[in-house]
Amino acid sequence: MFGLFKNRIFRRFKKTEASIHELNYLFWECTTRCNLNCLHCGSDCSKDSSTQDMPLSDFLLALDTIEPKSENLMVVLTGGEPLMRKDIEQCGREIRKHGARWGMVTNGYLYNQDKHNALINAGMGALTISLDGLEINHNWLRNNNNSFARTDSAIALARGSTRLNFDVVTCVNARNIDEIPLIYNYLLSQSVKAWRLFTIVPIGRAANSPDLVLTNQQFKYLLDFISHTRKLKTIDIKFSCEGYVGPYESKVRDTGFFCRAGINIGSVLIDGSISACPNIDRSFVQGNIYTDNFFEVWNTKFQVFRDRKWTKTGRCANCNQYADCQGNGMHNWYGDKANVLVCHNEKINPAG
Amino acid sequence: MKSKWIRNILRGLSVTSMVFIFQACYGSPQDMKYDMFIEGLVKASATGEPIQGIKVSLTDTDQYEFTDEMGKFSFYTDLSGSYPILFEDTDGGQNGVFMAVDTVLIPENNSVYFEMLLDRP
Ligand code: SF4
Ligand code: SF4
Repeated sequence: MFGLFKNRIFRRFKKTEASIHELNYLFWECTTRCNLNCLHCGSDCSKDSSTQDMPLSDFLLALDTIEPKSENLMVVLTGGEPLMRKDIEQCGREIRKHGARWGMVTNGYLYNQDKHNALINAGMGALTISLDGLEINHNWLRNNNNSFARTDSAIALARGSTRLNFDVVTCVNARNIDEIPLIYNYLLSQSVKAWRLFTIVPIGRAANSPDLVLTNQQFKYLLDFISHTRKLKTIDIKFSCEGYVGPYESKVRDTGFFCRAGINIGSVLIDGSISACPNIDRSFVQGNIYTDNFFEVWNTKFQVFRDRKWTKTGRCANCNQYADCQGNGMHNWYGDKANVLVCHNEKINPAG
Repeated sequence: MKSKWIRNILRGLSVTSMVFIFQACYGSPQDMKYDMFIEGLVKASATGEPIQGIKVSLTDTDQYEFTDEMGKFSFYTDLSGSYPILFEDTDGGQNGVFMAVDTVLIPENNSVYFEMLLDRP
């Protein structure tokens, strides 16, 4: 009964958030260059990407259009690998000076003591490091034999910082699913406090590796593992925001499913495109910072993100969970809007 | 005016206190902490000339910064009531030789500027 009441309040809350659409979280795809070549990469970038990094001054002009900025506006530097940029500390420092907080997602390969110190000095307040297995699997997935060792030392540096809100993220796939308990033990031994798990989605380079996608049984195992481990309170473990997971909703995350793309989450992509999460199909782009005022676009466009009724189509059309799921995360849609790419709930209840 | 009542109800319910904290799959956590911006200038007490290459360390963390050619340094750090800071000449005779100074900075708001004079031995 209380659960039903909570669900109703939460649905109402989501609606209100969509109508207020306060921008709290802004991705900046500052480079598409990367030093690794991961098999599961959702961004499909390459080592010697021909696309130039976006000049910092261009991004700052877009950032300055956001007025007033929400109290905790967070800029998240993403890529490619953000540490490929030589001016990464300067980028962070200027973003902080321009009134936003900032954080970064990194593969950890270039993250050493000097870099750590310089980034904290530049005002970095949050960091995510990707770890996709113990040594053999992580190196295999990352296509690099030194990757695990480098990531391991990056984790040691980050977890020792009092300044950072730090977590480790793991992309769970058919190759590393059996290793999840071992990764858990490793993270505990490293005193890591927060761990977020997401699954491989067949987009970007991962579209070429369908054998990495979890079976339904593996997916359920993952959710059971998260649910069980949360009860132990040894680490702040959670399933990512990637999809609606029906009966597991209250067991694997702190809050119910809410895809905030275009509601609280925006992005400036490498070519100046204005969108929401960088893993969303590029046909959902709403404007471009080189031709439009970023904040005007944020305030006046993005309807497709804020009113999701259009997702009631294909397999979502007659779904009895639609009110809570609303067509899953936006990154699960292609621009033709014909059908949702992945239904997480269906993986749990194949017959449902 | 847009109604924000539902937000306020949710803020009040302990079961949903995490509702405003989120992160996207490919993003980092949010930074909810307060920070402090510390900047300053290091000069030679005898001449008033700026000194390059002085290591400025917060001794209760592992944070440090070196002064630039104008003798300036700056960094963000955790918000705190006081900051133990060590000024050290770590580059030998390269930019002159100066004695280390250990001090405690007590800031009055969340950004602070100060100058430090270093003596020769
Ligand atoms: S069918 Fe669509 S609305 Fe229903 S649970 Fe799956 S993704 Fe969500
Ligand atoms: S688009 Fe995907 S990653 Fe972004 S908020 Fe929605 S579910 Fe999360």
